[in-house]
Amino acid sequence: MEIFPALLSVITDPSLLFAIVLAAAVGMVVGATPGLTASAAIAMLLPITFYMSPLFALAFLYVIGKSGRYGGSIAAILFNTPGTAASAATQIDGYPLARAGQAGKAMKVATISSVIGDLMGDILLVVGVGFIAAIALKLGPPETFAIYFAAFVVIGSVIGSSIVKGLASALMGILIAMVGLDPISSEERYTFGSFDLSNGIGLVPLMIGVFVLGEVFAQLETRRKATGETKQNKSTEDGNSLTWEEYKPCLPHAFRGGFIGAGIGVLPGLGSAIAAFISYGEGKRRAKNPEKWGKGALEGVAAPEAANNAVSGPSMAPLLTLGIPGSTIGAILLGVFLIHGIQVGPTLFLTDKELVYKLFACGMLGIVAYGLIGYFGATQVARIILKIPTNVLYPLIFLTAFVAAYSARGSMFDVTVMTCAGFAGWLMRKYDFNVAAFVISFVLAKGAEETFRQSLLMSDGGALIFVERPIALAFLVIGAGAIAFRVRGIMKERKIAKGALEDA
Amino acid sequence: MRAYAEGLVLALISIVAIWGAWQVPAASPGDTWAGIVPFSASIALLFLSGLLLLGAVRQPAGDTGQEQDNGATLQIIGLFIIALIYQQSFRWFGYLLPTAIAAPVVLYFFGVRSWIGLAVAVVLCPLIFHLIFFVLLGVYPPYGEVFDLLSWIQG
Repeated sequence: MEIFPALLSVITDPSLLFAIVLAAAVGMVVGATPGLTASAAIAMLLPITFYMSPLFALAFLYVIGKSGRYGGSIAAILFNTPGTAASAATQIDGYPLARAGQAGKAMKVATISSVIGDLMGDILLVVGVGFIAAIALKLGPPETFAIYFAAFVVIGSVIGSSIVKGLASALMGILIAMVGLDPISSEERYTFGSFDLSNGIGLVPLMIGVFVLGEVFAQLETRRKATGETKQNKSTEDGNSLTWEEYKPCLPHAFRGGFIGAGIGVLPGLGSAIAAFISYGEGKRRAKNPEKWGKGALEGVAAPEAANNAVSGPSMAPLLTLGIPGSTIGAILLGVFLIHGIQVGPTLFLTDKELVYKLFACGMLGIVAYGLIGYFGATQVARIILKIPTNVLYPLIFLTAFVAAYSARGSMFDVTVMTCAGFAGWLMRKYDFNVAAFVISFVLAKGAEETFRQSLLMSDGGALIFVERPIALAFLVIGAGAIAFRVRGIMKERKIAKGALEDA
Repeated sequence: MRAYAEGLVLALISIVAIWGAWQVPAASPGDTWAGIVPFSASIALLFLSGLLLLGAVRQPAGDTGQEQDNGATLQIIGLFIIALIYQQSFRWFGYLLPTAIAAPVVLYFFGVRSWIGLAVAVVLCPLIFHLIFFVLLGVYPPYGEVFDLLSWIQG
């Protein structure tokens, strides 16, 4: 019930409302611009939040993340270029609709479904997060470490094309986090005698480097390969309006997608792309008109869009209750909490409960804001994006990355870290390593180390403590199971591909 | 070839990480060793690099992976070198002068060929970034040890 006073408090604060509407518009433009991600925008804006109040900063970035997920559908439908990985599923039916002169109709279905999915996710988050936090308060260091371990393994092995490279990325993130003074004994680790390194690697410069500068390097590469120019598909007069009769068959797909997205969102690392494709596949399987899917079915837009956006709210649950970010945006938001001295974890609901519920309220209002802007102005947003000269945009982002990295702590060493992280981020993308696993593991490593060493002290150095406690054991099994499940899936895919080759 | 290179680079990183973890002094009685997590992580990384190398050995001959675009790679390395020089020059010349030089160079890199546009960037980029970050947000600008344009302008 805490959400109602929080909603009232946010609605009566004009500066917060302005921030929410601005963030909704910014996120939509960023999400819709191919090659520009919400993570990059949030990482770039992170240092500015040093100068804002915690709620203002968190709400601004959280709504950009939400709106950015939705914005990807604009590019997918109107330009046939998914703005985000998740909107690739929307593109399957969205683009044929746009080619048939029904771009406006498809956009409206995407907007309504996104709003339904996102609101469902947020409501489930508000209802469930308190229970998870109450359970999390009862967990000891061995259980918490086992959860961290499962998160590392799931994030490393599930995202991306290679399990080995995913896990290696996660391990590299852990090793980079170990640079500096040991928080328990104050012994130096990987400092090589450097005073700057003894302070450790900062989260903000690392994120700006990997997500912003790394993206600029990647775009320079993409620009060489890209041919032709992006054109917007226009709607006919009839194709712009959406009637209730047309949306009615989409409604069950939107609700189902909402539940699928919310369920997947709670699990760290799986992300919205997986949710969108599962929802699309499930929707097609249950559809009355499966033959139309892929050729321009409105239901084929509703199902993935609802799931894609429903991930947003529940993905905050592991972050807020356990301090485990489930996505890159979650990892950046964790940075904002830390910058403002707020300890994330089960105790957050004892110390800063009001802030958390106000943040949820801002998220809900953000959904309404991007829903209204998208429903009435998605095509105008598309026009703005077509006018953005990318050959000017990326150099400006390049320059912003340096000054943003410096602004965080006024440290030149941070700028050097950001530059190196940018190049490393590009290399990781180029060689199919997992950037998300790298960053999330970097964020999680210190907490995991602390709980691991506390557990060893509890058991006088014996590692059996993780096996003797049933909850800890269950999470270790989940981690091992995730790898086994993924290996089985990859082997199955290879068998099918081999069979297809032999048939050919 | 690419798979071998990936495995070898990863193995090299993990060996350096093992060596680094080994330098951490032993724990005092009743405490845990500060190097336990870095050491375990680097051993796991070495194991994964072994798996990558094993995969490279098993890869059928002639399967060289994706086609390389050397031109793009060279351009990115060029931009990275510019980035390194740009960030280092903050220490020598403060923020304004390096940004006034870097802005047109990076715009040219991204294909802007309008001389007027590049000339405008020389003035506007440092000015706008300075106003946003160092005036509005109140961040203290980096001071140039050799020459600082901001100090010179402010007299």
